Amino acid sequence: MAKSPKKSKSKLWFLVHSWLALPIWFFVLIVCFTGMLAVVSQEIVWLANPDVRASKPDDSAERLSFQQVLDALHKAEPDMAVRSLSQPDGSHFALTASVTYPDGTSPTLYVNPYTGAVQGKSPDFNFEAFTRALHGWWLVPFTNGFSWGWYLVSLLGLPMLASLVTGLVVYKKFWKGFFKPVRTGHGSRIFWGDVHRLAGVWSIWFIAVIAITSIWFLIRAILSDNHITISTEPIVPVIAREEVPLTQDGSPAPRIDLDEAARIAGLAIPNLDISFISLPSTAYSHISLGGRGWYPLMFQTAEINPYTRVVDSQFLLADRSALEFVTESMRPLHTGDFGGLPIKLIWFFFGLILTLMVFSGLLIWTKRTAQATAAALKRSERAPLAHAAGSDQPVEIRQ
Amino acid sequence: MSQSQALPNRSLKQLWLKWRFHLNILLILIPLGFMPKYFADAKLFRGDAGLGANQISDIQVGPYSLDLAELRDEAPRADGPAGHFKAFNAALCKACTNDVKAVYLRIGKPRSLRAAGTIFFGASYRMITNLPIPPRTRPDAQVWVTIEGWDGSMHQASVPLAKASPATVAWLEKQGGKP
Repeated sequence: MAKSPKKSKSKLWFLVHSWLALPIWFFVLIVCFTGMLAVVSQEIVWLANPDVRASKPDDSAERLSFQQVLDALHKAEPDMAVRSLSQPDGSHFALTASVTYPDGTSPTLYVNPYTGAVQGKSPDFNFEAFTRALHGWWLVPFTNGFSWGWYLVSLLGLPMLASLVTGLVVYKKFWKGFFKPVRTGHGSRIFWGDVHRLAGVWSIWFIAVIAITSIWFLIRAILSDNHITISTEPIVPVIAREEVPLTQDGSPAPRIDLDEAARIAGLAIPNLDISFISLPSTAYSHISLGGRGWYPLMFQTAEINPYTRVVDSQFLLADRSALEFVTESMRPLHTGDFGGLPIKLIWFFFGLILTLMVFSGLLIWTKRTAQATAAALKRSERAPLAHAAGSDQPVEIRQ
Repeated sequence: MSQSQALPNRSLKQLWLKWRFHLNILLILIPLGFMPKYFADAKLFRGDAGLGANQISDIQVGPYSLDLAELRDEAPRADGPAGHFKAFNAALCKACTNDVKAVYLRIGKPRSLRAAGTIFFGASYRMITNLPIPPRTRPDAQVWVTIEGWDGSMHQASVPLAKASPATVAWLEKQGGKP
């Protein structure tokens, strides 16, 4: 039992690493798996449902402006109220329109960006929302502040970061492991061990990103539930009563159309890319529009007064504090939706690897740690004063 | 880490060792249990489940009429230092959507249009507002609907809070006017 302190310390690290995801491994596995699905949920829906595709009627077809789309919608359904229009990231996606019908139902419509034709209605089961809700807050409803499911899931960022750190500590010279072949034919323990290490070293950056952004989600919930805000986003006051003209005949005061609002915003903010536009939600509300800036992880928005044509408020990249650049980047870094399909596919691939890491970790655990722990327990029963369990279990980490 | 902590207490340790992996089952049961609630909420927000709970139909407000319903049949929700709020939905009569500039909701009669209460947001077929509920509200209070026309006209009507949201009145009575 005469061991150098260094060696026994690494054993302790190893034991910590072995036990981190346990005994909640299945929960961790499902969270990783649903996260992987959520990254590409939009693409899965695109594959499954032709309604959400932006099919071009012919090669010369041009995309319609927001107002042209709105006109087409009003023509098709005169009684329907349109609340907002949005172009998802990627020109292969149809526009989405949030609408309300006279019976009060409020679906999302998929609209062809070239013809303005309504291609379909969001189905009752929203796959994207469901996978995100399951992954993000374990379906626990938000009633008073953040859902406790949100805390439950985001807390996993801590053991995840710890397993990355302990994993790197116990994997001696891990930087030499990038091209180590996986050994087959030596039994499944060796095989899964090799897979776990190989996947692990290639995923160092990804695990770090996901763990740190998850911890940010935890911090964000704590801040929000304690009513602490770090945002510099201006609170847009409602349009003053005097600025909304009265009409003698009681008909609605004229407002500028969406294309005019987009033009005004474009003049005031030259590099504003507009991918979504919300119609005024009350008589005293603005036309709100925005899109990604040059830094693709953040959005820029502007509020146009539909009566006076003034840009009453704007929130641009330049308006952000340095802290906000960090905190606002956290969500896109977690979800991978900041660089179109290629980034999403990278996130999906490493999400799959991460799921596999949890799974292979469990397999290794059942094959080794469980046996070693059982053996250690037996020993401690024989000699109750023996020090912490696992002191002489086999440690096979230095291949 | 789970091992060293349990060593002093043998029975507790054995209980932990025996049952620790059942934590997985408990954790998986959580989303399964909340799934009906999740889908009911999704339906509610899509407007497929009607306007809301305890709907009062055809409230006459001057020449107009509207339906009022609380989003959920439950007590007001706390929103930190801002106090307690109750979400209400309203639907304007189809013929009057063009004439109505704004609809407001308030507990107690507003003295002027400028203090008409919280404004309803969204399409007139299904508007929503978050009504602040002062903790000292009397259980027999009236909820006032104010409609503003584009010509500056103002029309008002009221319904008993007890009818619009019985759960809020029950909450107020239980609170006993405590802040």
